[in-house]
Amino acid sequence: MESLFLQQVVNGLIVGSVYSLIAVGLTMIFGVMRISNFAHGDFSMVGAYIAVFLLAWVPGWMGWVGSLLAAAAGVGLLGILVERGVFRPLLTRWTDLDQIMVSIGLFILMENLAQLFFGATPRTLSDPFGGVTVNMGLVSTSAMRLLCFAMAMVIIIVLEVYLNRARMGVAIQATAQNRTAAQLMGININLIYAVTFALGSALAGLGGVLYGTLFAIYPTMGAIPTLKAFVVTILGGMGNIRGAIFSGFILGVAETLGGTYISMEYKHAIGFVIIILVLLIIPNGLFGRSEK
Amino acid sequence: MTGGSKKLLWAFGAALALALPWLISDRYIQHLLVTSLIFVIFASSWNLLTGYAGQFNLGHAAFFGIGAYASALLALKLGVPPWIGLFLGGLLAAAAGFLLGIPSLRLSGPYLAITTIGFAEILRLVAMNWVQLTRGSLGLYGIPPLPGFWGLEFTSELTFYYVALAGAALALFCFRRLTRSEFGLSLQALREDEPGAESIGVDTNRFKLTVFTISAFFGGFSGALLAHYQRLISPDLLSLHETFQALTMTIIGGLGTLTGPVVGAVLLTFLSEGLRFVEDAVKIDVRLIIYGALLIVTILFMRGGIVGLWERLSAGRGRDQEEG
Repeated sequence: MESLFLQQVVNGLIVGSVYSLIAVGLTMIFGVMRISNFAHGDFSMVGAYIAVFLLAWVPGWMGWVGSLLAAAAGVGLLGILVERGVFRPLLTRWTDLDQIMVSIGLFILMENLAQLFFGATPRTLSDPFGGVTVNMGLVSTSAMRLLCFAMAMVIIIVLEVYLNRARMGVAIQATAQNRTAAQLMGININLIYAVTFALGSALAGLGGVLYGTLFAIYPTMGAIPTLKAFVVTILGGMGNIRGAIFSGFILGVAETLGGTYISMEYKHAIGFVIIILVLLIIPNGLFGRSEK
Repeated sequence: MTGGSKKLLWAFGAALALALPWLISDRYIQHLLVTSLIFVIFASSWNLLTGYAGQFNLGHAAFFGIGAYASALLALKLGVPPWIGLFLGGLLAAAAGFLLGIPSLRLSGPYLAITTIGFAEILRLVAMNWVQLTRGSLGLYGIPPLPGFWGLEFTSELTFYYVALAGAALALFCFRRLTRSEFGLSLQALREDEPGAESIGVDTNRFKLTVFTISAFFGGFSGALLAHYQRLISPDLLSLHETFQALTMTIIGGLGTLTGPVVGAVLLTFLSEGLRFVEDAVKIDVRLIIYGALLIVTILFMRGGIVGLWERLSAGRGRDQEEG
C-alpha cells in the first residue's frame, strides 16, 4: 500500500519532469512575446521523430545523446523559421485571437504534414540500457526513465543558470518584465524574440525526445503535450518559469495518483479539473502575482 | 450595392437554395449540401460567440456533442420524438453554455481558451467511458430518423435538406436580428473594449451569459440535426478537431460577419470532398494540410476572409464606376 503510493509518486515525478520541460518553453515564449502557441506540442512531436530516425540510424548511447542534441538544434531552427515567417508579421498588429488562431493553423498543418511524411504507425524509442530496472528500497523504476528524469533536471538547471547569468538570458528576462524599458536600455527586441522563440521551441523538442522515451510517438501526439503544457503554464501563472517547473511536477504526480486511486479512464481530465478550479478561485495561478 | 439590388440578390439566393436539390439529382452532392447546412449552423453559432462577442471559445464541440447525444439518447432510451429532441438537445446545450459562461466572466484570451477546451475534453472522456449509456468509443447507432408527417419522409437526403435549410434559416435569422440590434452593438462594444463598454453602462456579465447561452443552443441544435441525419454518432463529435473545423470555416469565410461562416462551411465541405478525389489519385492525405495552410494564410494576409475580400473588391469596383 505504502510502496504503491511511493511508486506512483516517483512515476509522477518522472512524467512531471517532462511536463515541466515542455511547459517552461511555452511559458517563456508567452512571458516574453505574449504568444500562446497551440502548436507547441507539435514542436515536441518533431523532436520525438528526430530521435526516432536518429536512433534507427545510430542505435544505443551515441544515438540517444545525439538525438537530444539534434532535437534541440533541429527544433530550435524550426522555431526560428516559424517565428520569422508566421508570428513576426503579426506581432505589431495582432490581437490575442489572431495569434492563437494562427497557431491553431500551424497545429493542423504540422500534425498533418507529419502524417504525410512519417506515416500513421506509432513508434517507440529503443532503450539504451536494454530494459534494466533500478531498485531503490520501496520503489523501482527503469534506468531509462531515471535517465529521462535526470536529463530533464539537467536541462532545467542549465536553463535557469543561463537565464540568470548569461547576458542574453538576463536580456530575455528584462524583456519579459518590461518591453519598453528593455528597449530603452538598448536591447534589440527582434533578436530577443528570435532567441526566445528558438529557445522555447528547442525546449519543446528536447521534451519531445524525453516524452518519446515514456510514451508512444505518432503524428497527432502533439495535442497532448500542448494541452498538458498549457495546464501547467496556467497553474504556474503564465510567463512564470519557476511556477511552470513546480506545476509540471504537481500535474505529473496528480495524474499518476489520480489514475491509481480515482480512475484510470479519467486520468487526462484531472489536469483540466484542477485548472478550472484554480481559475475560478485564484485566476493568476498557484505562483502568480496579481496583474498590474 | 444599392438596397434594391441587394434585396434581389437575397431573393435569388433564397430561390436557389430552395431549388438546389431539384437541380442536382446526384444523391452524393445532396448529402454534401445537407452536411454543409449543418456546419453552417454550427460554425455560425461559434462565430456569434467568438467573432461578434470576442469570447474565445475553443470548446464549442462540447455543445455539438451535447446536442447530438442528448437528442439521440432521449429518442433511444425514453422514446422522445426526435422533433422535440432537436430542441431539447439545443436547450441542454444552452444550459451547459450558461454554466460554461460563468467562469468566462472572469477569463479571457488563452485562459478562456484552455478552460473551454478542458470543458469539452472532460465531456469527451465521459462519452468515451460511460459505456452503459453511450456505448463508449463504439458510439450510438440506430438513432431514429425524424418522423415524417403529411406524407413526407425525412430519411432521404432530398427531404432532410429542407429540414437543415429551415434550421439554418432560423439560426441565421436569429443571428441577424441579434447582431443588427442594440444587443449586437453592445456585443461589439464588449469585443472591442470591455472596460469601455462597462463604463457606458453595458452590463457585460449579463451579455456574456446571454450570448454563451444562445450560441450553445444553436451549437447543440446543429449536433442534434447531425445525429438524426447520420443516425450514428461517436465521442469524436466532442473532440478539439470538431471545434477547429468550425473555426477554420469561419475564419476562411470571414470572422465576425453573418455570411462568413456560411461561405466557409459550404466551401470547405465541398473542397474537402473535391480533394478526396485528388487524394485517391495521389494516395496522400492533403485535405487537412490545405486547411491548416489556408487558415494561416487567411490570418496573415486577408483577415476579413473571403467575405472581407469580396467587400473590398466590390467597394473598389463601386468607386471605379463613380469615378468613371
